[in-house]
Amino acid sequence: MKKTEAIATVGLADGKAPSQWGRLFGFQNISAVYLFVAIFIIFAIWVPQTFLKPQTWANLLDTQSLVVLAALAVMVPLVTGVFNLAVGAEISFALMLSTTLQQTAQDQPNLLLALGLPWWAAAIVVLIVAGLVGAFSGLIVTRLKIDSFIATLGVASILAGVMYLVSQNKPLSITLDYKAVTDLYLDLGGFRLKMAVIVLLFIALIVWYILERTIIGRRMYAAGFNPDGARLSGVNVDRLQFWGLVAAGLIAGVVGILAGSKFSGNSTIGGTMLIPALSAVFLGSTQFKGGRFNVWGTVVALYVLAVGVQGLLLVQVPDVLSDFFYGIALIGAVVLSRWGGGRRRFRAVRQATTFTKDGKAALIAEAEEEPSQLHPTETALKQDGIEDQGDRP
Amino acid sequence: MVATTATGELLLQITGMYKDFPGTRALDDVSLEVRSGEIVAVVGHNGSGKSTLVKILAGVYTKDAGEVVFPSSTDEEATELHIVHQDLGLSMPFNTIENLGLVHQSAAGLAPLNKRRERARAIELVSRFGEPFDVTVPVSGLAPAQRSIIGIARALDGWKHSRNIMILDEPTEALAAGEVEVLFDAVKKLAADGAGIIFISHRLDEVLDLADRIVVLRNGQKVADERRETVDHDRLVEFVTGASAHEGEVGRTDLGMSDEVVLEVENLAGADIEDIDLTVRAGEIVGIAGVLGSGREALPALLFGSIPGRADRYQIAGKDYRRRSPRESIRRGMAFVPGDRGKFGSIRPMTARENVTLPELKSVSGAGGAIRVRRERAQVQELVAKYDVKPPRTEQVFSQFSGGNQQKVVFAKWLRNDPKVLLLEEPTQGVDIGAKQALYNAIDAAAAGGAGVIVCSSEAKELVRLCNRVLVMRGGRVAAELSGEDLTETRIVLEGYGLGNEGSL
Repeated sequence: MKKTEAIATVGLADGKAPSQWGRLFGFQNISAVYLFVAIFIIFAIWVPQTFLKPQTWANLLDTQSLVVLAALAVMVPLVTGVFNLAVGAEISFALMLSTTLQQTAQDQPNLLLALGLPWWAAAIVVLIVAGLVGAFSGLIVTRLKIDSFIATLGVASILAGVMYLVSQNKPLSITLDYKAVTDLYLDLGGFRLKMAVIVLLFIALIVWYILERTIIGRRMYAAGFNPDGARLSGVNVDRLQFWGLVAAGLIAGVVGILAGSKFSGNSTIGGTMLIPALSAVFLGSTQFKGGRFNVWGTVVALYVLAVGVQGLLLVQVPDVLSDFFYGIALIGAVVLSRWGGGRRRFRAVRQATTFTKDGKAALIAEAEEEPSQLHPTETALKQDGIEDQGDRP
Repeated sequence: MVATTATGELLLQITGMYKDFPGTRALDDVSLEVRSGEIVAVVGHNGSGKSTLVKILAGVYTKDAGEVVFPSSTDEEATELHIVHQDLGLSMPFNTIENLGLVHQSAAGLAPLNKRRERARAIELVSRFGEPFDVTVPVSGLAPAQRSIIGIARALDGWKHSRNIMILDEPTEALAAGEVEVLFDAVKKLAADGAGIIFISHRLDEVLDLADRIVVLRNGQKVADERRETVDHDRLVEFVTGASAHEGEVGRTDLGMSDEVVLEVENLAGADIEDIDLTVRAGEIVGIAGVLGSGREALPALLFGSIPGRADRYQIAGKDYRRRSPRESIRRGMAFVPGDRGKFGSIRPMTARENVTLPELKSVSGAGGAIRVRRERAQVQELVAKYDVKPPRTEQVFSQFSGGNQQKVVFAKWLRNDPKVLLLEEPTQGVDIGAKQALYNAIDAAAAGGAGVIVCSSEAKELVRLCNRVLVMRGGRVAAELSGEDLTETRIVLEGYGLGNEGSL
């Protein structure tokens, strides 16, 4: 025991522990920032004329802000241990609903929901419906005890069907008022902060505050890390997962409303956001907070990935390569977060990316084998004679 | 002390086996011989080293010193070691044929299976041990004894000759009395054919029924190796418990109990537990003992409300408490230190600070549920110092503490708000001696502070050290209540095995 205690002590701070600043700026903690620098240098040399133009960056910030929001809609439930793979469908659905509600009955006589609402009224309806969609996923996951992966995939498919009923794949045009929503901006001494970015900052701040500064956030993390342990500490895991999915639905609703204004009735937009969003969430978990899904890690990770994609587009590679890039990034991010040093770092992600019950059990069993964990012998000894659950030395 | 049975050739010879685990010597110079046709029972209490011995033979652990030889093993007739583990290792959704076939495939790779031949073979194998049964239903639908037979049949299939070693690890755990007989007949038949049997058990009467020779382990040492004829029940109990050594220690009477009842339960039932009446007073430490499966492990969770149960009456500090849940139990002043701290007692990737405050965050937060981290850290710093957590870092991740210090953090977490009722499950499992003492002191202090404490433990010694009263469970009910002079390690062990009346020690 002495020995393991010594290891636990030395390994942490007395021995190799870098200074606080060293840790803060260490590769492990902010690898995305280093990645960004590398990407930046490469493209700055390769295509300086276009890559270094301020307009490029302003555009990037604006267009990607919706994807960042989508990533937050993935992250919030994921903190409580629940996947939300319906996020893309939720966004597309919100977009189509928002657009359809603003159509007038004269223009679209076949559409039941063409009510000719002003954009803000449509937005309110969309937010309510989006919240209900999240609640629907939440009920399936917490009441029916269906694995969130399956449940949200199912919900995504259902939403695609409902979306067709709502819009019937009609080409829809949007009003100028609605289009103007995302063109609003805040002038910060020549730098225009567009509407979508403002909304993003606003929502990110709220999510950050709740997750990292409040009781609810603390409990959400606890629920995600170890639902059984959290439950025994008085955490209502089901409730947190339910509301996590509701929050995700609401954020997706906001994205849908903004995307409607920006991209008109393009219903495919949500689907393209899922993979970048997932990549960013996992890559983000390796940043800043060592293994915890966190807001700023997600935001930074997404923009870093987006810069990479932007660079690729500027050197005129075919469009589809961005899919290729994000796919690689998603797998790479999970690999990085699983193996990127520090048990604490990868455990959260492994927990989230291990889907079977047996797999989870194996993770726990593996955890028991850590040197500083349960004294395996004594456990074995205690079980000696009456119990054999295949505990390993 | 050395057996002189010479029924047959020596099949297995273990000499001077040692196995150390950090802090404990699990096997201390253990020697064992098994001859052809002989049934050797290895008995001992928890922690005696039986399982370690089996696991070394099975290759799960490696021995530190000692020799294992198979003296009559030749090239043509190698002595094989066949082990039937306690859990049998059957695959429940599969039927008997498939379970038997899992080891010896009748067809290789993609070649079609020969169903009829497999079925005939399966019936042939199982009918060696009495009435054949339907080999085509899933194993989960069979009786426990039938499953044991499959386990043994599987271990028996493919023997090239009969003179092998068969190890049965607690094979009767799941069996009813009649089923045990079927199994024993099978084992005897096997021995009669020339196999050497090692029979691991803690059921002394069964051991006396079956064995030719009895080896007793205690604290890793072999304390007896006797022919069956030379041992009677009382002798065996003496060997197993080492009765005389601990006779001095009895339950404590020094607890400053008050008359105030903190927990009163009538007719509690749930999981495998029935009919539990329990009254705990402030300042009292009540122990719960019993072998695995007696209901001991489920009782604290049942009391805490983390598994569903029902009760005619359930009161905490005189107030009725009906819809039980962990959250509500905590609110009402209960605390629960679960046995498996990695899985249930903690959030391993979170820091000590976050773990300690998780059950109750209100006192460290301001308006709108905003956590005041500085206040929280100061509070946890104090607790970490109080419970002597090493290193005393509030920001260290839980999993990076050593076992004993993890448990101290868990204690700090639950003792932080002075619980009225403190439920402890295996409170010192897997902790070193130093931490153990610190934890005992913390439990004493909690009781002295007015908590009613319930300790569930598989370690009789611990219960004698801590408790003024111990309830011994058996078959889901309280079988005996021990206190004062009666509260000794020996009595706890005997009552646990249901030998209370005969154990005239």
